[in-house]
Amino acid sequence: MSSILVIGEADGKEIKNISQQVSAVAAGMGDVVGLVMGKNISDAGMKLATAKIILADDDKLEYYDPVKFTSVVSQIVEQNNITKILMGATTMGKDLGPRIAAELRWGYLGDCLEAGSEGFVRPAFAGKVLARSNPEGSVVVSIRNNAYPAGESWSGSVENFSGNIPDSTTNTISIEKGGSGTVELTEANIVVSGGRGLENPENYDEHIRPLASVLNAAAGASRAIVDAGWVSHSHQVGQTGKTVTPDLYFAIGISGAIQHLGGMSGSKCIVAINKDPDAPIFKVADYGIIANLFDIVPVLKSKLSN
Amino acid sequence: MNIAVLIKMVPDTESRLEIVDGKVKEDAFKYMVNPYDEFAVEQAVQFKESVGGKVTLVCLFSDNPGIDTDLRKMMAIGADEAVVLRQEGYRGDKPSTNSKILAEAIKELNADLVIGGVQGIDYYQGATGPMVAHHLNIPHISGVTKLELNGEKITAKRQIEGGLQIIESTLPVLVTAQKDMTKVRFPALKDIMMSKRKSFENRSVSASEENDVETIECSLPPARDGGLIIDGESPEEKVDKLLEKLKMEAKVL
Ligand SMILES: Cc1cc2nc3c(=O)[nH]c(=O)nc-3n(C[C@H](O)[C@H](O)[C@H](O)COP(=O)(O)OP(=O)(O)OC[C@H]3O[C@@H](n4cnc5c(N)ncnc54)[C@H](O)[C@@H]3O)c2cc1C
Ligand SMILES: Nc1ncnc2c1ncn2[C@@H]1O[C@H](COP(=O)(O)O)[C@@H](O)[C@H]1O
Repeated sequence: MSSILVIGEADGKEIKNISQQVSAVAAGMGDVVGLVMGKNISDAGMKLATAKIILADDDKLEYYDPVKFTSVVSQIVEQNNITKILMGATTMGKDLGPRIAAELRWGYLGDCLEAGSEGFVRPAFAGKVLARSNPEGSVVVSIRNNAYPAGESWSGSVENFSGNIPDSTTNTISIEKGGSGTVELTEANIVVSGGRGLENPENYDEHIRPLASVLNAAAGASRAIVDAGWVSHSHQVGQTGKTVTPDLYFAIGISGAIQHLGGMSGSKCIVAINKDPDAPIFKVADYGIIANLFDIVPVLKSKLSN
Repeated sequence: MNIAVLIKMVPDTESRLEIVDGKVKEDAFKYMVNPYDEFAVEQAVQFKESVGGKVTLVCLFSDNPGIDTDLRKMMAIGADEAVVLRQEGYRGDKPSTNSKILAEAIKELNADLVIGGVQGIDYYQGATGPMVAHHLNIPHISGVTKLELNGEKITAKRQIEGGLQIIESTLPVLVTAQKDMTKVRFPALKDIMMSKRKSFENRSVSASEENDVETIECSLPPARDGGLIIDGESPEEKVDKLLEKLKMEAKVL
């Protein structure tokens, strides 16, 4: 029988929530083998919600490296009669997936919104079009965060990877953490984004960041204020920024240009605060408040902090 | 130093999207250079300006000549030549097929560095770069926000969850550009004039390998109709009503 390989990711002692989501999807498709690669990842890897777990725990795998990780995966594919590989559409998944597909000569489907035995749906043109496919051949698939509920960990069988890990000519020197306490945009359940309506960068710091902080949310931005240099590009949501699909998205002082909508219209619930009743953001918002943001946001923050 | 830059032509972000019989109607599309690829061109030209060498643009597209002017603009930034691979039936959503063709062309250039964009804003696959690197048998680093060249090595900062991964690599290597990598210059008039005399080669190619997944049906996502506008006499009242809705109706708080 052929099986599905789930590539999980450790986050310290825990397994990433997205990896548990992918495991749950895979369980609905057939026999599942899980794989977690890294250094000191065994405790976390054991929590992956798959029946069989392979741990590749090695000093050489301390940092993500496409050449090394692709080699480990292809050895496991060969030994386990794998015909599908599923992983989260994380910065690792989106980088590793295509390289594995090229190595194995399989198809690749990136950033899927839906995955299952009936096929896959992925966004095109910034989410303005949905493309469905149902490949017969082998595929590598990455699945977007928050598309599915997470699977529960259970005690499956555990094996250690014993193959070769090749050398690589790239070398990770370090990881620079971007500001402590910040929640990552693409992983956040709630995103609070601000736009040009904030008028200046100080107001972003005074209104958007604290609101995000009381909600344990990530802080996002429109391109207008990224281009103006108020915040770094890592905050940008939209067609040339990040695509987010949180449970709750706040668009504050953002007009809702088509390129911005492309990055957030898949959110489960959208709240818009804008003083212009004709702002296009209201066409996609579930709840809209037409008002001056400087009147609303401080009240919102203080009520949420209580 | 020889640098190859991968340029994808993508539908203009304002293009109207209409679906007929499960297929996107593409005949009226206007094309532009994928925005991320402009950062790649700028970075390549900056390296050339500091250490010498040659920058070659490599673009795989259909026979449509409507893209030539936009490619010339990239040459005005400072690229030396363009190789445009013309393929009948080219599609932007076939990264496996396309990367194979691109890699063949790049092999001839003896590139020390290949730079592309992190993803195409058409199909969002972000797949072509890593696949080209695989076919060239070189490593790749994707989503790079800062790239430095020190002799025979590069240092790259790659955006990851919650921070940056700092990576050093020997050459050759393939890198894909994230937005912050460079600030794209506005070419001077004399550079625009000069670009018209640079080598622009059209070459016809055909596909050999088909591992890409066929799309069987396209659809428009369910329209989000405008939701509820929350009224109230005061900011307090509006906020109270909003929070009530978020807790009780949407159940997201
Ligand atoms: C190729 C391309 C790619 C792009 N990619 C992206 C992308 O990835 N992400 C992105 O966001 N944009 C992108 N854009 C830019 C996009 O077209 C818009 O220019 C941008 O989203 C506008 O940002 P904004 O909503 O903050 O600013 P504006 O459009 O200026 O809107 C500001 C809003 O704030 C409101 N406002 C002002 N003052 C107040 C107040 N006191 N209280 C309440 N409301 C107030 C105004 O009514 C207005 O609606 C792209 C554009 C192109 C051409
Ligand atoms: N047809 C193409 N011709 C040249 N470069 C391409 C082509 N398709 C993709 N690329 C490169 O690969 C990057 C990612 O594209 P994609 O994999 O389509 O998301 C682009 O930004 C380009 O640098």
